[in-house]
Amino acid sequence: MFKWSGLSQNKKFVGFDNFKDLFHDNVFWMALLHNAEIFAIGGSIILILGLGVAHAMQGNGRFTRALRSVYLFPNIMSLVVVAVLWQFLYNPRMGLFNAVADLFGKQKHRLDILGTPGTALPGVIITFVWFAAGFYIMLFSAGIRQIPEEVVEASKLDGAEGFVRFKKITLPLLWSVGRIALVYLVINTLNVFALVFLMTTGGPDRKTEVMLTYLYEQAFVNSDYGAATALAVANFVIVMAVSGLILKLTKNDPTGATR
Amino acid sequence: MKALAQLIVLAKKSMTFAFVALFTLSVVLPLLWMTMTSVKSSPEIFASPWGLPTTPHWDNFANAWKAAGIAHYFANSLIVTTATLIFLIPIGAMAAYIFARYPFPGSKLLFGSFLGGMMFPQFLIIVPLFALMSNTHLLDTKIGLTIVYIAYSLPFTIFVLTGFFQTLPKDLDEAAMIDGCSHSRTFWQVMLPLAKPGLIVVGIFNGIGLWNEYSLALVLANSEQNKTLPLGIANLAMVMHYSGDWGALFAGLVIVMVPVLIVYWFFREKIHETMLAGAIKG
Repeated sequence: MFKWSGLSQNKKFVGFDNFKDLFHDNVFWMALLHNAEIFAIGGSIILILGLGVAHAMQGNGRFTRALRSVYLFPNIMSLVVVAVLWQFLYNPRMGLFNAVADLFGKQKHRLDILGTPGTALPGVIITFVWFAAGFYIMLFSAGIRQIPEEVVEASKLDGAEGFVRFKKITLPLLWSVGRIALVYLVINTLNVFALVFLMTTGGPDRKTEVMLTYLYEQAFVNSDYGAATALAVANFVIVMAVSGLILKLTKNDPTGATR
Repeated sequence: MKALAQLIVLAKKSMTFAFVALFTLSVVLPLLWMTMTSVKSSPEIFASPWGLPTTPHWDNFANAWKAAGIAHYFANSLIVTTATLIFLIPIGAMAAYIFARYPFPGSKLLFGSFLGGMMFPQFLIIVPLFALMSNTHLLDTKIGLTIVYIAYSLPFTIFVLTGFFQTLPKDLDEAAMIDGCSHSRTFWQVMLPLAKPGLIVVGIFNGIGLWNEYSLALVLANSEQNKTLPLGIANLAMVMHYSGDWGALFAGLVIVMVPVLIVYWFFREKIHETMLAGAIKG
């Protein structure tokens, strides 16, 4: 709330001006929109993958457990490794995606995925999914293991198999785990920083700018600490509000089970 | 009819299998590619990025370690991570023991605020933290980064260890007290050795997180002298865009990744439990 640049003692009280500036700042809204896109698109893919893989591998044998641990590899490695690796996978000269495109005949024009405004954000989202999915698979697997054996057996006797059982039994009983997963996704997607900063620094043309990369720019490139702090407060309020809203909306467990 | 039903079941099963196999492949393939590329020469990487290496170029690792300065960043990471753990574990254990055994007025509130700190994204306080470190002349020092890391890791450490101390039977510390142990002796000589499995898990878990930490180190210790491994590798990636020793860069990535994955593999079950405890109870 102070106009304060650098570390001088020169602070001037400016009231809510930093927040007013923030609300009139197009870059902030654009960054927020990108955060929302990562949450909506990346989050949906992660939830579908997490539920799907956890449902498909329900056993708790040695091999399944080992596989689940492998899915967590991207989550355990440094984000720097993830970011640099995917920069190369997206690389127009040697990347995986262009190699796949080459299988369908040599491409004349090679797409620079992270360098093209239209494809940069989808590129970042795919990397985010690759990085984060393992954790949600583990979360849902633990949730599925908590479902009482008798319920599963009873549903099998009633002839519920495959997708029907998934829809009628597994999904509703995973309600409480699902809520946690959603709140985690909100926090992790609205506070994504290192991955985006390392892959694109918010570019090209701010097409992948997210709130925290903009915060970094305001604070440590433009030395506008007041604006950066206002952004931090706004980010915190948004995360709290969205998480609270989700918890409230999902409060009523359709199974009526109170856990 | 029966044959048809069996066929449908079979088709469903193979679809499930294909789904899991495809997903597994998409997780593992990039990692294998990275490892394979780390033993290829730079011209080879460009000529056939997806081909197997003709002869393994182990010198990539020597180049990364020496010429590209990974050894220096590795040492920095080792110093900061170890120093953090040396202070973090005893402090965390002491606090957790009190929370678990001797509730006092306001201890619930205090514990709750630690939980809040666990959920709070640390990057949001980066500006005040930067100012604080700058005013105390701790900016861009290993000591400063270590202090921040200790504070940043404490909430989770206290949370997990409190849960762990609560599972230890009360009879043990009571017996020790009856035998004439002081409070501090009970803690150091009876409870702490009993808590060893918990301390190891928390140490490993925090160690991995700190070894990988990027955002705080980026702002708080960014000079060549103090760069930790993640910052060093990020820097290397940028430099290599111009100089072009890709083999060494990939070798560097493998050097960062492998120790973490080995440690993770040995403690994976415990690490999963810890992650889930944080997710489900927090």
